[in-house]
Amino acid sequence: MKALDIALKDMLRSFRSFFAIIFMFVVPLLVTGMFYFMFGNIAEGGDFTLPHTKVIVANLDEGGPKFRVNPKNIPDGKKADTMGELIVNIMESEEMSDFIELSFAPDPELARGSVDNQESQVAIIIPANFSKEFADVYGEATIEFYQDPTLTIGPDIIRAIMNRFMDGMSGVKIVIKVFLEDAPPEEYIFTGQVVQDYLSVSLAEADDVEDELLDVRPPTGQQKSDEEESENMLLSIISPIMGGMMIFYAFFTGASTAQSILKEEEERTLPRLFTTPTSQMTILSGKLLAVFLTVSVQVIVLLIAARLIFSIQWGSFSSIIIMALGIILCASSFGVFLNSFLKDSKQGGVLFGGVLTVTGMLGMISIFAINSPAAAKLGNSVSLLVPQGWAVRALTQSMNADPLSDLLTTTLILLIWSVVFFVIGVRRFNKRFA
Amino acid sequence: MTNALAIEVLNLHRSFGDTKAVQGAKFDVQQGEIFSLLGPNGAGKTTTISMLSCLLRPDEGDARVMGHSIKDNQMGVKSVLGVVPQEIALYEDLTARENLTFWGKMYGLRGGALKKRVNEVLDVIGLRDRAKERVSKYSGGMKRRVNIGVALLHKPKVIYMDEPTVGIDPQSRRNILDSVVALKDQGMTVLYTTHYMEEAQELSNHIAIMDHGKMIASGTHDELVKLVGGQTRIDLTLNIESGTVLETWKTVEGVSQVSAENGLVTVLVEDSNHSLPLLFESATSRSARITSVDILEPNLEAVFLHLTGRALRD
Repeated sequence: MKALDIALKDMLRSFRSFFAIIFMFVVPLLVTGMFYFMFGNIAEGGDFTLPHTKVIVANLDEGGPKFRVNPKNIPDGKKADTMGELIVNIMESEEMSDFIELSFAPDPELARGSVDNQESQVAIIIPANFSKEFADVYGEATIEFYQDPTLTIGPDIIRAIMNRFMDGMSGVKIVIKVFLEDAPPEEYIFTGQVVQDYLSVSLAEADDVEDELLDVRPPTGQQKSDEEESENMLLSIISPIMGGMMIFYAFFTGASTAQSILKEEEERTLPRLFTTPTSQMTILSGKLLAVFLTVSVQVIVLLIAARLIFSIQWGSFSSIIIMALGIILCASSFGVFLNSFLKDSKQGGVLFGGVLTVTGMLGMISIFAINSPAAAKLGNSVSLLVPQGWAVRALTQSMNADPLSDLLTTTLILLIWSVVFFVIGVRRFNKRFA
Repeated sequence: MTNALAIEVLNLHRSFGDTKAVQGAKFDVQQGEIFSLLGPNGAGKTTTISMLSCLLRPDEGDARVMGHSIKDNQMGVKSVLGVVPQEIALYEDLTARENLTFWGKMYGLRGGALKKRVNEVLDVIGLRDRAKERVSKYSGGMKRRVNIGVALLHKPKVIYMDEPTVGIDPQSRRNILDSVVALKDQGMTVLYTTHYMEEAQELSNHIAIMDHGKMIASGTHDELVKLVGGQTRIDLTLNIESGTVLETWKTVEGVSQVSAENGLVTVLVEDSNHSLPLLFESATSRSARITSVDILEPNLEAVFLHLTGRALRD
């Protein structure tokens, strides 16, 4: 009972702090809100529009061996006689017009100059021998992608589209190569048909490029309306950001609340507590309970607020409970662990500015690298070196409705982190006050 | 006052590294009395109080508080004890009422009894009408009063007050001294530490004088004063550096002790009427002029000077 009294007193003090409220609740929601307004317009009924990226294309492709893609496989049913035209047609399609503002340049220099002068954000230069090289089984067909280095999101989307297209084209080449290696010469006449079939399939699969790139997986898996799809695109961007912010600041709250042990020692209230008929274990338990409860309140409030404000889907109820418990326990025990190494609260600056920021950023690499698959893969590995990384993984698994066994495994690892941090932290504090 | 012992200190020792903070502290405090530990800063008073509060474990020796050993029954000691620490130990971001309520819970009070007691204590410390204000908005004196109030919540049998009047205005100091007497009148035993001789003299039934971790004397005020043999203390100031005059005065007839600090020379004499003219004469012979004289009847300051060769104000 006394432990709960101590915990409630600590929580009362925490929630009376203006700065604590700001950092616990306002900042995570505010950062997410900034992204929300950046990518969507909440005031206009939630319609989501990506920012338009100005793309300038210099299509120099002189064509190669004759081929023609069936218009039904090209967006808007246009025809293309060269590979360059095919790319241009795709970029001119209606679905691309939502986020691409296309213009053309007669030569590469003018296209690059347009980016240099910040008139365009991306220049796509299709070389003269593009179709020819593509048609050559052993040739190397490349497109030059020239972008404003200060921009990321818009050019990244365009780059991803081009990568996808080029990957498809590479597939075509491999198909041709395999076909020519295995087929007898009399069947070479079917080459065009093979290519046609492959293109039919691959382009049809890539029919909704925008949706492919900004895939959202709602738990229901139901048929989505256009409005729902737009909303889901927005959610796919802000959900991991909100989750990341929640985890980042939950760990800060854990450390900040645990620091009250040091602060009370300096304020002389802790020694006074030790003069009351209350055991050291009860006092320490109360302090630890305060950390756990404060982080719990923060996480629960943020989960609910994000659901209400941004309509973020955190996953099924059971997944949320498991994920939240793992995050809360780990954030609390990590705070106790870190503080147990501090001599006084003045050293807290190093804790917050250094350890928590660095580990927090490491843990969220996978979120920040979401648009770059290679970086995300590396990030996923690096982030698991710190507890925040495991917390992010649990959150992602819950949001993606991954199998419960996966989430339980991640949560178990979070619990192991928590137990290690807790035991070390408590032992050090017990020794300190013995 | 009863004859039963409230506190029995048995040869307490405590060191911090090479520093011997308390060396063989030994004294008894009767139930219902005010017992003062008097000594300059660094004498070992707070360390002694900390050991008696079970905050520090003695290296050697033991003490009993209302029969409970500070080594073997710490919870027993803590349950009969109220501690007023030297520093303000309150939650400044909580109100006075919230502070008292929380500390009351720590002393095991609950529900209606807690609420009633908090109101009583707020009345005692005179802050009921400002109980809803955060402590951070209080003056130093008001904080001191709440600091004392916390120790009274569970109606302890023994209260330790560790220099409770340090750094506060005269009015608040007066209030605190009056409240200490009131506590004694209610039957509580008060162990009071101070380096203000007047406080110990005014409040205490018994006084123990500490210096450099050792108990150098203890007894009632009168018993202690007798130690200086009825000597009179004369405080003088000179118009020049006192160094050479000091040496001369030590040889003046009837002078038993001479010390100087911050331009004030303190002299213990058998008979001020006899010695004072000789001191003037001796100063004149050294081309010094006495600019002020203050003759004081024997007191604890004189006792400390007599026992240590230094003024208590050191």
